[in-house]
Formats: sequence, C-alpha cells, structure tokens
Amino acid sequence: MATDPPALRARGLTKRYGDLVALEPLDLAIPEGQRVVLVGHNGSGKTTLMRMAAGLLEPTAGTVEVLGEPAGSQEARAALSYLPDAPVLYDDLSVLEHVEYTCRLHEAEGWEEQAVALIHDLGLTARADDLPARFSRGLRQKTAIVLALIRPFGVLLVDEPFVGLDPSGQDTFVELMDEAADAGATVIVATHQLEYVKRVDRCIALRDGVLVYDGPPGGTDVARLVAP
Amino acid sequence: MGGTGDPGATTGPSDEPGAGAGGEGDHAAAAIADLRRARRRRRLAAFDAGEAVYRAYITFVLSGIAVWLLSGVVGDTRLGAGALGRVAADGSRVVGAVIGAGWALGARAGGRGGPLALEAADVRHVLLSPVDRAVALRSPALRQLRSTAAVAAGAGAVAGLLAWRRCGGDPAAWVAVGAAVAALAVAGGLGLAMVASGRRFGRLGGGALAVGLLAWSGADAALGTATAPATWLGQVALWPLRFRATGVAGAAVAVILAMAGVASVAGTSIEAAERRSALVGQLRFAATLRDVRTVVVLRRQLSQEQPRSQPWVRLATRNGPVRWAAWRRSLRGIARYPLVRLVRMAVLGAAAGAAGVGVWAGTTPLVLAVGACLYVAGLDAVEPLAQELDHPDRRDAAPVERGVLCLALLAPSVLLMVAVAAVGAAAAVVVVAATGGDVVLAAEVGAVVALPAAAAGVAGAAVSVLQGAPDPASALDTLLPPEGAGVRAIGRLVVPPGLAVLAALPLLVAHHPPPPATALSAAATATPLPLLGAVAAGTWVRYRDAMRAWWTSAMEEAGAARRPTTPGAAP
Repeated sequence: MATDPPALRARGLTKRYGDLVALEPLDLAIPEGQRVVLVGHNGSGKTTLMRMAAGLLEPTAGTVEVLGEPAGSQEARAALSYLPDAPVLYDDLSVLEHVEYTCRLHEAEGWEEQAVALIHDLGLTARADDLPARFSRGLRQKTAIVLALIRPFGVLLVDEPFVGLDPSGQDTFVELMDEAADAGATVIVATHQLEYVKRVDRCIALRDGVLVYDGPPGGTDVARLVAP
Repeated sequence: MGGTGDPGATTGPSDEPGAGAGGEGDHAAAAIADLRRARRRRRLAAFDAGEAVYRAYITFVLSGIAVWLLSGVVGDTRLGAGALGRVAADGSRVVGAVIGAGWALGARAGGRGGPLALEAADVRHVLLSPVDRAVALRSPALRQLRSTAAVAAGAGAVAGLLAWRRCGGDPAAWVAVGAAVAALAVAGGLGLAMVASGRRFGRLGGGALAVGLLAWSGADAALGTATAPATWLGQVALWPLRFRATGVAGAAVAVILAMAGVASVAGTSIEAAERRSALVGQLRFAATLRDVRTVVVLRRQLSQEQPRSQPWVRLATRNGPVRWAAWRRSLRGIARYPLVRLVRMAVLGAAAGAAGVGVWAGTTPLVLAVGACLYVAGLDAVEPLAQELDHPDRRDAAPVERGVLCLALLAPSVLLMVAVAAVGAAAAVVVVAATGGDVVLAAEVGAVVALPAAAAGVAGAAVSVLQGAPDPASALDTLLPPEGAGVRAIGRLVVPPGLAVLAALPLLVAHHPPPPATALSAAATATPLPLLGAVAAGTWVRYRDAMRAWWTSAMEEAGAARRPTTPGAAP
C-alpha cells in the first residue's frame, strides 16, 4: 500500500562552505501535520537546514524533499512557505500590494477576506496602504508573517520568528501557527525561545551541524542542548 | 489564512502534469507583468523632469570631454598606406583577442552564478513561488542584455569615430560597425555567462571555458589565423577597410550565444541569485560613491574570494616592539591570500610589464595601462592595511600613533609588490624577445624599474584606501570655498592612480634618452620620480592625522578672523 510522503525528508543532507562543514550528513523525516521545533546554539546549522529545505541553498551532498518533491522544485515551492529571520520586502509596494502580488503568484483564491483578517490580527490595519520600507523591524516582520501565511501551503518553515516582535505580536503569531497546524499543516520553527518548545510534538536539536537530539520535547534538557 | 485549508490541496500545481506550463505560466507572467507596470507607474509619478534634464546635460558634457580626450590620445594623423595595410591585415585579430577576453570573463562570471542581478525581494517572493523560473527570469535577462548592449553600442560608436580619424573612409560606416561589434560582443559575452550559469558549469567548468576561449583567440592573434568566433566578429570591426564574409559568422555566433543565454536562465542557481542580489546593489552604490575599498571588498565577496583557512606559511608567535607586531600581522594576512588573488596580481604584473614595453617603444598612452595595472595589483597588496582600516575601533584601541601603525603595515605589501614587478619585468623580457629586441637591455631596465614600480603601486593603493569614500559632511570641505572643494574632489579621484602612473616615467624617459645617456642610464636617472611619489605618499600616511588637525585648525582660525564682530561684544 502506498503511503503518503513525509512533509520533509532529508537523506544524507550535507552543506559545506570550503572546509567549513555547516551541516554534517543528516537523515530526517517529518510526517505531515507535525509541530516541530528546531533548536541549537548560533552556528549549529538550523538556518542552513531550513534554507536548503526552502530551496534557497543547494546541498553539497544528499537530498531534501518536501512532500515527496525535490526542495526548490516548482511543486515544492507551491507546498512550502518559508518565513526567514530577516524580512525581505519590496521598497515600492505597500503591505496590501505585497499581499496581492504574493497571492497572485501562488494562485490563492478568496484571499481578500483572509488578508483583511490577518492584517487586523497582526495590528497592521492602519498601515495596510503604507510602504513597509518605512516600517520598524517589528512591523516589517509582521508584514513578512502576513505574506508567509496568506498563501496556500502544506509546510510552514519559520526561522527565528520572534525577533523584533512585541509580546502581543509574539502571542498572535504563536496562535496563528497553532491554527495552521490544527488545520493540518506541518509547522517547523527554529527558535531560541525555550517557552515555545512546550507547544510542539517534536524537538530536533543540532550542535555544530550534527543532529544531537530528535524526540519529544520533554525527553531532554533543552536548555543544555542549546548551550554553546 | 492560506495554510489552514487541506494541505494536500495547497500543493495543487504539483498534482497537475506539466505544472507551470500553459495557463498557469500565463497567470504568473500576468502577475509579474502587472507588478512591473505598477512599479513603473510609481517611478513615473516620482519622476523629476528637471533632475532628468540636468543628468542628461551632465552626461552629455562628460561624454564630450571623454571623446575630446580620447581624440587627443589617438591623434588626428591619418595612417600611411603601409600602416593601413597592417591594420587591415592584423587588426581584426587584435579586436578578436579583446572580444575573446570579454567572452572569457563572461564564461568565468557565469561559472560563479552571474550575470543576472535580481532584486532581493524578487528572489524571495518570485523565485520561491511556484512560478516557472523561465517566465520569471526571462524578462530581467532581456532587460540586462538590452541595456548593456545599448551602452556598449554607444562606446563602440565612439571607438568607430576615433578609428575613422586615423584610418579615413566613410565615418558612418565606422560608427555603424563600431556600435554593432561592441553591442554584439557584449550580448555574446552576457549570453555565454547566462549559459554557463543556467547550465551549472560551476567555477571549474566556467574557468576552463574561459581559459579555452582566451587561448583560442590568443592563438589566432599570435599565429595570424582566423579560427575563433571572436576573431570573426573582430573582422566586422574592420569592414570599412576590408570586407571578410566570415565576419557574418562571428555576428551570428554572438546572436546565438545571446539567445541561448536567455533560453538557459531558468536554470540559474537561486543560491547564487540571492547572494548576488545583495552584493550587486551595494557594489553599484559603492561605485557611485567612488568608494574603491568597498568596491574591492564587495567584488571579492561576489566572486567568493575568501582568505585561506590554512596559511601558505605559518609564522611563529614572537614578542617584540609594536612596529614588528604590525609587520607580522601584515605578513600573516598576506600568507592567507587565496591562490586566485596571487594569480591575479601576477597577471596584472605581467600586463604592466607588457604595457611598459609599449611605452618604451613609443606608445605614450600606455603609461595609463601600466599605472592602472600596478594600482589594481596594489589594492590587493595593501589588504592588511585595509583590514586595519575596516576595523577602526580595534586599530584606535592600540596605544600607537595611527600613522606609525599604517606605515609598518605597508612594508610587507611593498615586498609583495616587488615580486609582482619582477613578474612584470620577466613578461617584458619575453615580449621583447618575441619581437626581436635587445633582451639583455630589457632585463637590465626591468631590474632598475622594478622597485620604484612596486613602491608606486603600493603608494597609489595606500592613499586610495586611506582616504576612503568621500564624506559629504567633511569638515574640511565645508571650510573650503566651492572651487577648493571641487579641486579636492578631483584630486581624491586622480592622485591615487596618478601615483601608480609615475612608475612608467623611467620607461618614458628611456624611450628618448638625452644624449649621451643610454636607455638604461636614462631609466635609472628617472627612477627617483616614482620613488619621490612613494616617499611623499608615505609621509602623508605617517603624518596624515597631524596635517589634518593643523589644516582644520588653520581654516577655523581664518574663518573666525573673517567673521564680523558683534556690536557690543567684547573685543
């Protein structure tokens, strides 16, 4: 009987920059619908793993698949939404224009009402027609969150999402990620915020590019894992 | 929220065979086109006609000055029948070698992920969306081809005009072929880069292709044959003198390369595109500001030129005075130069040597080529000093005068540049031997000129790096009258490469040795000129802070003396 492919599968996934190994060969499978947190100290390989899954980095060796499709392929790009740690936005498009453009590129349907709700939830209603180029770091991050969530996706990859967000923005974003997961999406979050670890099904820890823990969040001392 | 539905449904395009083709591709293309239209409208809304007219005026004036200066260098004298015959016979191969070198650069750039320079947001939002990358990238590729070829056509037309002044004939024909050849050469080079990038030739593949292309057109130039497509395209440039039908094939190859490039862009690495998107914008901005150091650093990042993890030679730890510490720091930096940088410096040294032979033979404008090669090699040589300047807090924390530290950091750079100049001398001997000249004399002149040339190259580069980017809020400029600030701005631009150009003066003097001096003695007599330039630059490096403080204080005092006293104020 054919089984559904995992949301994310890495086989021997490796990334080297010259003689620097950013990620040692990694084997990993994350089933659909799981909530996963990725922890590790700075330079442990979290962002490298995420960027390879998003198709922004090419593996030196090994493969990574999103719902059975090679990362970076057109099908994988349709299925995976990536929210990077630093928001990248157009200088000359307003928040709403960003939303419209993203939805058209992803062929989202009925997005207008969802956009209004999402923009409201994140406290951007009064700024919807403004240029994010003139926003603070936190407001730019909120705009990037809107863009990551407004499009269709089956896998949500989030890298250090809480940087620059105020406490209410952090709470709202956690709720939005929970909503996405409740609706069946796989949510993978890389963070240093240990409070978030309690909300997930699985914790994956990396140290110096090596997988050092993969299991339930209660099964280990996470603080020790993320210590440099 | 998009992800709250059935995640299986969110991967819609993947379930359909031929995703990205047909209707979906049209839909994405329409979205991208709409975005570009909206942005163009916004730009037009912010368009300032007065500013545009002013820019056009400045461009026109500067272009006129450039053409006038180039006319002066080329001269007005019509070539004789013999010289014209030689140009008609061999000129196409020389032009072909230049085009071949350009195409080689294209292949090399393509192997490293160039030449497309996309906006960072386009990489994140368009290239990470399920839009066919052929649709997303075709338009930027065509735009880059169009704009670069247009600029090249303008430069080619000027070159054609200058060629007509020396060679005669129909000026319109010269201008037309000049513009066409330059545009085709650039389009072919960019196309080749896009093919190398889209087909993932990689650094090794792109480099090998570059060497092959360079060798092919170089062999044509050396052997007097016409087998390389670049040489055929070079024949078009001389059609007003001699029509060769193979030129059409050269033009066709350039067009095919450009078309193949546009057809290949879909395969461009997104990793390279993202890296370039961040760097190219900064590079353009730094170039606009004439910030040479930033341009050098960004260009290295663009080509992923990193210091070696393991040094070529490891220096033992030793204690000693501050000056020795700076020497050792500088040597340690040089010991980590990557191979590509050392090779580039050697090639620049060889090019300076070859150009020096031309100066010695009487082609005076080549002094600029000698100076340019030494200046660029010098910018690589003074990297330890530049690193120190890039981290001013660290430098200023040392209990040492900045001038002393900077000067000590430069000493190993001079030694490195002596090696580069030695390569230049060797190249000059090879060129002289190949043209049947006096090899012993060439070696002697090379030996005499090497040290001053090295010092001049380091001096120019050190001044350039130390002066940094122009500061619009400079206290010095605000104290100077506008005319003085203008002269200072030109000086900042001209002096650093000018110091390096001084290296060619002994060769210029050797060309016309005043009787009874020989070429060797004349060159030796003129070596103090570049050395004096280097000493002046060294003095400026050492006492720059003190001179600046004195000048600022003097200007403030002069300003205070000119200011009218307030009535009733104390005298």
